[in-house]
Amino acid sequence: MAHAQEATTFNENESKVNWHDKALWFVRQKRDKAAFNVKGWETLRDLASAIKANVMSNLDIYLEEFEANAIKNGVTVHWAKDAEEHNKIVHGILQKTNVKKIVKSKSMLTEECHLNPYLEANGIEVIDTDLGERIVQLAEEPPSHIVLPAIHKTKEEVDELFQEHLGTKPCNGDPQYLTDEARKHLRNKFLKADAAVTGVNFAIAETGGIVVCTNEGNADMGAHLAKVHIACMGMEKLIPQEKHLGVFLRLLARSATGQPITTYSSHFNKPAPGTEMHIVIVDNGRTEQLSREDFRASLHCIRCGACMNTCPIYRRSGGHSYNATIPGPIGSILSPGKDLTKHSDLPFASTLCGSCSDVCPVKINIHEQLYKWRQIITKDVPQPIVKKSVLKVTGNVLANSKMYDFVGKSSRFMLKHTPRFLVYSKLNTWGKERELPEVKNGNFDEWYKKRKKNE
Amino acid sequence: MSRESILNAVRKNKPEALPLPEIDLNVFAEDKDLVKTFIENVQFVGGRAIVLESTDTIDAKIKEFYPHASKIVSCTTESSLGNISISAATEPHGLESIDLAIVKGDLAVSENGAVWIEENDFTIRVLPFITNDLVLIVNKEDIHLHLHDAYETISKRDRTFGLFLSGPSKTADIEQCLVIGAQGAISLTVLIL
Repeated sequence: MAHAQEATTFNENESKVNWHDKALWFVRQKRDKAAFNVKGWETLRDLASAIKANVMSNLDIYLEEFEANAIKNGVTVHWAKDAEEHNKIVHGILQKTNVKKIVKSKSMLTEECHLNPYLEANGIEVIDTDLGERIVQLAEEPPSHIVLPAIHKTKEEVDELFQEHLGTKPCNGDPQYLTDEARKHLRNKFLKADAAVTGVNFAIAETGGIVVCTNEGNADMGAHLAKVHIACMGMEKLIPQEKHLGVFLRLLARSATGQPITTYSSHFNKPAPGTEMHIVIVDNGRTEQLSREDFRASLHCIRCGACMNTCPIYRRSGGHSYNATIPGPIGSILSPGKDLTKHSDLPFASTLCGSCSDVCPVKINIHEQLYKWRQIITKDVPQPIVKKSVLKVTGNVLANSKMYDFVGKSSRFMLKHTPRFLVYSKLNTWGKERELPEVKNGNFDEWYKKRKKNE
Repeated sequence: MSRESILNAVRKNKPEALPLPEIDLNVFAEDKDLVKTFIENVQFVGGRAIVLESTDTIDAKIKEFYPHASKIVSCTTESSLGNISISAATEPHGLESIDLAIVKGDLAVSENGAVWIEENDFTIRVLPFITNDLVLIVNKEDIHLHLHDAYETISKRDRTFGLFLSGPSKTADIEQCLVIGAQGAISLTVLIL
């Protein structure tokens, strides 16, 4: 279903939409406060952007350097061209080490590859350990946000889910009680898991080490208790040297949640004695995106979610309406590169206000890329006949000043005098979900001419 | 092999080489009270930090903060409260019932209230996460202004595992209500010497 229709469904519960909108705006405000507190914030953004551009232009060299150093550290490195190969590699490691139960920390890459259903179909128990991720796992839903996976759920909904699946007592959605219960439940899973799967926030070419950031400590609880640690990374997660972490770690959490840094920023360089560490480097469409000059900067993304929190469309349509692993503005420029037909509606889910680009810590020109995708899509993908005709007529009207004058006058007359039920009918999409402005007499042109005359 | 095909595709698709920018630390220089800012930031992220006058008062202070802690692992010479000893051979799962862990931090970062600790400092990797409560001890002169300064020090070391730890484990995944104590340590106290 198209984004607009999904958003309409989300909008049916008005109070929930308002709540969703406010909750995310609150995070956006925290981001602002955190950013304004850092001297040289804009320099940090420029640096991050330039470092990532350098990485993309030398990606093969950095990948080889990273691989060589990781191997030197005692880590096994794997390469996956697509989601299927990624899943097979992970499953292969688990089979070889005779693993039946795994704990996973939040990783958008494994979501992208649909690792959970793949492993489950092969008889492996997969427990998501990030609290938000566990909530959506119990609800059998995908995450609706990349940092706040269960932001679309109310505490009462979580209460019910936990009663059903974890046997908790009804608590009116008390977050403290629910978190405590989840802690007990997950500790038990951590202690029994044979392997841990984590994502990778940053991979450092110079050292072959990786950095994983969490607030809950779940990646660490998993990785340090299990005998096998599998870290899955998109190939764009590379940075050249360790000192560059100084730039990215200063930006990441502040942009994401307004914290000065995540609670745990764990640097894994070598496996602990007696344990195995694997890194799976995944392409899955990234090299193709690299080839697109206009869109390759989307690979700079460090997955902070700031663009989602600030986006007026995302906040009022919910993450699930995007029908893509990465929703929101960044997802809307990444997804068309993967499947233009399936995601052709996403670049239109934007007001092009540019707020996403303004808050992006690595300065991706998100709104410009949205506009560029629109141009490609209107050329390549068949458009609805109504939209096409309306735009064509509008184009003609705008090109002809007399016609424009006439249409303006008649529209103002009609808006003033037509009965309400006709103005807010299905034919007028501009009257959907909002009140049209009050009509005044005259337009700018008339006002300007009058003013000139009176001068 | 996918490795070769991926690397070849990258070689074919990558843009012209762009330079790696220099980081000019002058831009981020600030004249701040490092200890004061550090303490404020630890509080902001849900922890507690205090300055101690001398090492003699460490044990009394820890007892005051954690009167009910009975199973204690101390990985520092500054505190003698530890009653469970661990070594490289300790089975990590056995640490599940630990009440309190005391670890010496290598350095701290004023701008974000984080303390850098390494595997050498706590022997068993899972210790600072699996413990119920955590006390970190840092020296005043090891507090750095920002992360750039911190990396100047730690990136020169040959390391196995280390982390910046900033505050207790927390989550806001249920309706954006901040709850302290998710999967890792429920509380964090930083003692500054």
